[in-house]
Amino acid sequence: MSNLEVSIGNITFKNPIWVASGTFGYGTEAPDLIDVNKLGAIVTKSITREPREGNPPPRIVETPSGMINSIGLANIGVKKYIKEMLPIYEDLSTKIIMNIAGTDIDEYIEILELMENQSSSITGYEINISCPNVNKGGMEFGIDCDMTAKLTEELRSRTDRLIIMKLSPNVSDIVSIGKASQDSGADAVSAINTVVGMSINANTGKSNIFTTYGGLSGPAIKPIGLAAVNKLYKDLSIPIIGMGGIVSSTDVAEYILAGSTSVQVGTANFRNPGTGEDLIDMIDTYVADSNWKSLVEMIGKVEIHN
Amino acid sequence: MLIERAHIISNTEVAHNIWEMFLDAPGIISEYKGSGQFINILVEDSWNHPLRRPMSIASAKDGKVSIIYKIFGDVTRILSKKKSGNDIEVLGPLGNTFTNWNNNYYPILVGGGVGLPPILNLKSECELSKIDHTIIIGAQNSNEHFIAHDPKNDIILTTDDGSSGESGTVMNPIDRIIKEKNRPYIFACGPEPMLVAIRDYSLKNNIPTQLSVESYMGCGVGLCQGCVISKNNTDKKENSYHEQYSLVCIDGPVYESKDIQFE
Repeated sequence: MSNLEVSIGNITFKNPIWVASGTFGYGTEAPDLIDVNKLGAIVTKSITREPREGNPPPRIVETPSGMINSIGLANIGVKKYIKEMLPIYEDLSTKIIMNIAGTDIDEYIEILELMENQSSSITGYEINISCPNVNKGGMEFGIDCDMTAKLTEELRSRTDRLIIMKLSPNVSDIVSIGKASQDSGADAVSAINTVVGMSINANTGKSNIFTTYGGLSGPAIKPIGLAAVNKLYKDLSIPIIGMGGIVSSTDVAEYILAGSTSVQVGTANFRNPGTGEDLIDMIDTYVADSNWKSLVEMIGKVEIHN
Repeated sequence: MLIERAHIISNTEVAHNIWEMFLDAPGIISEYKGSGQFINILVEDSWNHPLRRPMSIASAKDGKVSIIYKIFGDVTRILSKKKSGNDIEVLGPLGNTFTNWNNNYYPILVGGGVGLPPILNLKSECELSKIDHTIIIGAQNSNEHFIAHDPKNDIILTTDDGSSGESGTVMNPIDRIIKEKNRPYIFACGPEPMLVAIRDYSLKNNIPTQLSVESYMGCGVGLCQGCVISKNNTDKKENSYHEQYSLVCIDGPVYESKDIQFE
């Protein structure tokens, strides 16, 4: 096996293949189809202070080379997460990154403090400041540098664990939000969350999603993700965790060359929950067959035409 | 549950735009629990259509699984072009099963349109267990039927336009058979308007009824949280954690009619 280890902050991950929040439940749903302990990390579903039922159906629709979802942050709430999920995570040998979502800064802080008061093996937190599917969702944070900076600072002062700010592509300047995160103490940024999209059934004249707009994901958004990662890589010094349409080892390689230190597999999990495990072997072969000595050496090394 | 590359044994048009495909799928069969369960089919390996398509199992025996599907759009058209000898990737078996049909009831099996496959599967199970039953099959017109109207053998067809079997919806024969039989139990799958009518009827007349519901699914295994249906019964133990919603893929697709609500 090639050396696939990557570091973020002071943490070493055994490989760069993670599974993305909202596409892998709490990590325990498909034991027949994947050995989760092989993954670099599991980013668990967004957790809010209170349990959330989510949006009415229809919540999902396929689109060309992609899909739109509007689940609405359905989740068990932080108290149940602590009680029911943390004990399960103690027995896993993969790293768990908890994704947190809130409607105001106090909610994020409260969830983080509840977590920090527990002894747990959680490696860090991915902060969802960019979910497009909830009224008043984190969207205001994700499009505003000052709010992003304030939220990052508040969380940073309360934990030594990893803080990863998850960035939205639905902004005019993703780099400025990334810089605000970095300057306020984030260990890394992850990009991109889903792209706002719409799907219409011309036969019925109806929107295919209850909330009208949802988040587009899958191979359709890979070029958007690659551009975002590369722009962030040029201006930031902290690691970038790339995602958006990763389904193959060449997709992983492209994201690493664009500037990602790790990647997250999302929509592909819906087609095959074992995709992440498959990609670890495939990227291992890719590195072994290439002229690169290691995966780390590839980060950001895309050749530009000028 | 497992993912299996299944060999296509046959793929034929059995009625206008309605196709039946037999798959050699010993892995799926080894975990199969009964009628109501479904498989999630990857129609093509490319990512033009990223999501699998859930299809009810229409029969499962001798290592073979069959599905029956109607051509609706691009994906089902691609499926209809598959030849015997091609492989297709399937995930399954998924979901729960019809229950109580073998518990001293008189099963009234109702299938409408593309909802027929699990009902045909349940009919086979009733026949194997030598349980008397009636099947009622509804369609818009005679072109969509591929089973003959045969009331003497308890096979009743209905068409909206009267072009074969009884004219009208499945509700007339349902009401008639229920009045004739002891301990009737309805098992139904079909388009939502049909299920709504059957649910209303079953609650009004206090007839035990199980409905197999359809939903747009992302994954079929509980990861995406996409396929929700509103629940009536919040006490019922389910695989998903919701109070208001149930996940059709892992809690269903079969529900007691009193336990769910349509939008």
